[in-house]
Amino acid sequence: MAKVVIIGAGFAGHTAAMYLGDAIGKEHDITVIHKFDIFGFVPSWVWLGIGAVKPEETTFKLKPVYDKFNVNFVQGTVTSVHPDENYVIVNQANSGGEASVEYDYLVVATGAHMNYDATPGLGPKKFTESICHLDSAIQARDSYLQLVEKMKRGERQRLVIGTGHPMAACQGAAFEYITNIHADLTQRGVRDKAELVYLTNEPAIGDFGVNGINVVKPGGRIARGGDLIDAAMDDFGIVKSIRRGVKEVDEKKIYWEDFEGNFGEDDYDFAMLIPQSRGVKFPFFDKNGEDISSKVTNPGGFVLADGIYGLSYDELVKTPDAWPANYQNPQYPNIFSAGIAFAPPGPISVPHVTKNGTSITPGAPRTGMISGVIGRVVALNIIDLIKEGRMTHHERMSEMLAVCIASNGKSLWNGSAIVMIIYPIVPDHTRYDNKEGRDLFVTRVERGLSGAWLKQMVETTFMHKFKGNIGWKYIPE
Amino acid sequence: MRPTQLDRFKMKCKIYQVWRFVVLNLKILKAVDHSKRA
Repeated sequence: MAKVVIIGAGFAGHTAAMYLGDAIGKEHDITVIHKFDIFGFVPSWVWLGIGAVKPEETTFKLKPVYDKFNVNFVQGTVTSVHPDENYVIVNQANSGGEASVEYDYLVVATGAHMNYDATPGLGPKKFTESICHLDSAIQARDSYLQLVEKMKRGERQRLVIGTGHPMAACQGAAFEYITNIHADLTQRGVRDKAELVYLTNEPAIGDFGVNGINVVKPGGRIARGGDLIDAAMDDFGIVKSIRRGVKEVDEKKIYWEDFEGNFGEDDYDFAMLIPQSRGVKFPFFDKNGEDISSKVTNPGGFVLADGIYGLSYDELVKTPDAWPANYQNPQYPNIFSAGIAFAPPGPISVPHVTKNGTSITPGAPRTGMISGVIGRVVALNIIDLIKEGRMTHHERMSEMLAVCIASNGKSLWNGSAIVMIIYPIVPDHTRYDNKEGRDLFVTRVERGLSGAWLKQMVETTFMHKFKGNIGWKYIPE
Repeated sequence: MRPTQLDRFKMKCKIYQVWRFVVLNLKILKAVDHSKRA
């Protein structure tokens, strides 16, 4: 009987657990270790942050789902991994005691650790808000609603939304949050009392850490998808503050450095800034008790996989196969990383270093969809290894689809959303003979009501799938 | 390329948006089909 341990029950870990449990849960021992007893549908926290949904609408209990799939569930935090002896140490939530959990295969699917400390003054415990976790999204909602009350009393407020570190990723979430704030304030009749500022480390509006999305228009013309995003921001009266890496935040001001190396500051009354993300927090020890984390992870804590690391950006652009295919650790082949936890070989956006030596480069995004796909690939490969001794599945980010839907209001009648379909996420110039390196039939950027329907459809079907309800396997990640 | 007046009309036209909803789903399914076979 093989033992599979999955650390983390987010999009990647939960997807892996469902596939593993469904295929081999009755014959083998599958265990999920997760800090919380609930699954959180992170994309909905954009709406939670303005009070458009209740917290309980975005979560569900994990244990009943895992019972259906014959998967064991341990609520707790992993404190160390011992890959030579194949066990992890867990600090269990209920008893508070430490336990050792053995494995034959380990899936690290911890998601991103939000590294607020990388930017002094950043984070929900300091001066800025965050929608990256359930508790912080609730706090952001409460602060936002207090701000709305001030606006109702006639006070003018300045809201700054964006990235809070020069290397931060996930600009899409910040963009969606600010467009929803615009829609919400408009609906509440206080939009004229708010100045909305989108502060980002992107080189241009619409970069989103994927080097922008160019699309083909009728007649075969290539158009910059970012122009549509730009136009939407103009329509919404959002001030664009681009090419800026946030260095520090205090009670009243946000301090940044721009691409040209100039330093500046922004006042704010409310700020939601996405921090730098880091990988795993726990160390890896060898059989002698020596810390070997640097052999298993990159300096950012992301677990090394079967990619090619150390290429320059120019080389990486020409080498789509540098991106991991099966997410297996080269040092320890029974360790896999899924979702945000795997180490990308480099950024997708063009890196930029200022004259002061500050790197202002959007990180490679790994959305829920990407994480789910990687979780499935890893699970299917582990099933392969257990049953046949060899892996048959692979999917690089240079072969993978991403759909990003940035809603502007939740209404299905007069709402709207910008839909970005990117295929593949990492441009592959060897496969697609165009300047963009992407499938231009599939790759689209569109704005309209259909986006709001698509967003609702995706949320409903994903939650159905993640609860393991009937037909879950036929719903794509 | 910024949206024209026609583009803006299309964004709000519900019949056109039904059509786009279908098309966008088909585009997604095309790429997902490749993904599922990986």
